[in-house]
Amino acid sequence: MFKGTNVAARIFERQIISPRPGASINFVRQFYENLVPGCTICDIDCPDYSFKKITDDGQYLVSFSRNLQDIIVYRPTWLSFSFKGEICDYESLTQKAKKFDSFFTQLYCITLGSSNEFICKDFFLYLENHQFGLFATSTAQTHEVPANEGAIHGVPSIEKITFHLVRLKDGEVMDEKSFYNDFVNLTPHSMGVFLYEDLLCIMSLRYQTIHILQVRDSGNLVDVRNIGAFCLEDDELYLNSHTQCPAVVNKSKPDENIHQSANGIHHQQVTQGSSFLTGIKQRLLSFIFRKAWNEEADPALRVQHLKKKFYFHFQDYVDLIMWKVQFLDRYHLLIKFGSVDGGVSRSTDQHPAFFAVYNMETTEIVAFYQNSSEELYSLFEQFYDHFHANSRELVHANFISSYSNNVHALEQLQSMKNKTSSLSQFVKKIMTSLPYTCQSQSPSPYFDLSLFRYDEKLISATERLRHSTDHPIKFISRRQPHVLKFKMKTGLETSGMDSSRTKKISSFLFHPYLPLALSIQQTYMQPTVVNIHLRL
Amino acid sequence: MGSLLGDWPSYDPHNFSQLRPADLSSQSSKVTPVTYQPTHSRTLPPPDQVISTETRNILLRRFYQKSEEKLCRKRAASDHLTPEHRCKQPRGTLAEEEGY
Repeated sequence: MFKGTNVAARIFERQIISPRPGASINFVRQFYENLVPGCTICDIDCPDYSFKKITDDGQYLVSFSRNLQDIIVYRPTWLSFSFKGEICDYESLTQKAKKFDSFFTQLYCITLGSSNEFICKDFFLYLENHQFGLFATSTAQTHEVPANEGAIHGVPSIEKITFHLVRLKDGEVMDEKSFYNDFVNLTPHSMGVFLYEDLLCIMSLRYQTIHILQVRDSGNLVDVRNIGAFCLEDDELYLNSHTQCPAVVNKSKPDENIHQSANGIHHQQVTQGSSFLTGIKQRLLSFIFRKAWNEEADPALRVQHLKKKFYFHFQDYVDLIMWKVQFLDRYHLLIKFGSVDGGVSRSTDQHPAFFAVYNMETTEIVAFYQNSSEELYSLFEQFYDHFHANSRELVHANFISSYSNNVHALEQLQSMKNKTSSLSQFVKKIMTSLPYTCQSQSPSPYFDLSLFRYDEKLISATERLRHSTDHPIKFISRRQPHVLKFKMKTGLETSGMDSSRTKKISSFLFHPYLPLALSIQQTYMQPTVVNIHLRL
Repeated sequence: MGSLLGDWPSYDPHNFSQLRPADLSSQSSKVTPVTYQPTHSRTLPPPDQVISTETRNILLRRFYQKSEEKLCRKRAASDHLTPEHRCKQPRGTLAEEEGY
């Protein structure tokens, strides 16, 4: 670590100090304490687009038009100005240069939507290796849907959702993949799409299927497998060739009938239509069965134990549906199961949720936990980075501050845990962040908790809309506990009366490595204000 | 001076005057470094050993380890208990680690 705080002294020190092994990025990041985006250009004159994200390699700024039909991509640059002669009027030059065009050069504008299809403005994924961007367009959602074969009830339906793979360099649409009469959740909290290296998994809620796709170098989206009704690729073929009659009673669980009367006869309808439970459900039930079986060593007490642990809850397990999925590595998925009505709600009390780790190659469930499990929580605390599932090539993503790589984040989490009255409630609340939503955190070093301390309610690495305050957001140095490094003003200073009545929402877009950030402030019934924060 | 340090300047001309180049060269030829030979071969690696990176990350390894513990440990314990079952009263249930 550097001895001094002065930037010139640090540059001299850098010539002679070699960083600790494996910590060269942390070492170099300390320079971000000296170069901070403290200067704000308020209410910059910019086109009225909805700015979505600056890609993690800093090459593109992706934005959508207000009517959600077009995509406009900019290249982030830096302002530059020059003058002739000796007398330099620095102030007036910088004034002239403070325009949106100085920072962002428009590359192109392409139309993805059509008359009835609109771009999903919460969805954008970036493949850094090939500079591909994944966008989604969908038609309107309908809630009153006739029951289709194979579709579950209680989930809305969208006539058509299309995923577009666009090469961001020139805006060419490489490939598309559409889902009809299906529902894929594209809201930030319950994102049904996860990208890991070149693999994409899409959670189709209506048909309870996980679609695994691969993005090839040529820009094609190729189906790899579908997990849900069938686990192995040839399951369907095998079942079709052996099915004699359509309605076969599920003989695998004979004790089920004893408890049907306890649970209510109406549950029987679920299994009447199809002869078998889905492949993934069967794998899950057999795992729970084997686990309960092995918990009790005494054979005499085993049946009693099984009744309590497995058969009593059998119908609840059968009724579970998959809500969200993420990759843990190329072969393992973390799947969140929940009840039909409990999926998107954030309240954790009434609706139990479960997490399962599934191996796609062996089609086995490896682990199964309830969301209040302390065992899962301890794994979460220790190995949080592995839940992020960043591939090894993306270096910067591994340095986003998290509970397992940053002592300050861990301290915050543990102090919250110590303050809480009910540990299981606390665990459930923390578990709502699993499965992780990929590319939802900004890799900017200004969010590094070892460098800066900031109010996480007002701003953090996670990209989401927050209520804004009138006071500027302070970033305080971590190493020098009371030194303010820089402030970010989120909007024009309005008079006290106006600000208390109107609700303002702000969002922030940080450049991954330059001292440049955009803050977008939206007020009800008023035009959006965009500020640029930079180091001048 | 002809010493190993050459004609490098120093504050005091008497510094490094005790060093003789002859001493240095004779010293280096006389001393042979001590080598140690192992007396046993217990710590040698097996001849077919291949060291490679574990493909599964640590989180997945823990998941597998815990599931193996739950599925195998109890089975091993139950094998131990079964022979005594006939002559003794049925035992109480083994303490459960965690239920859900």
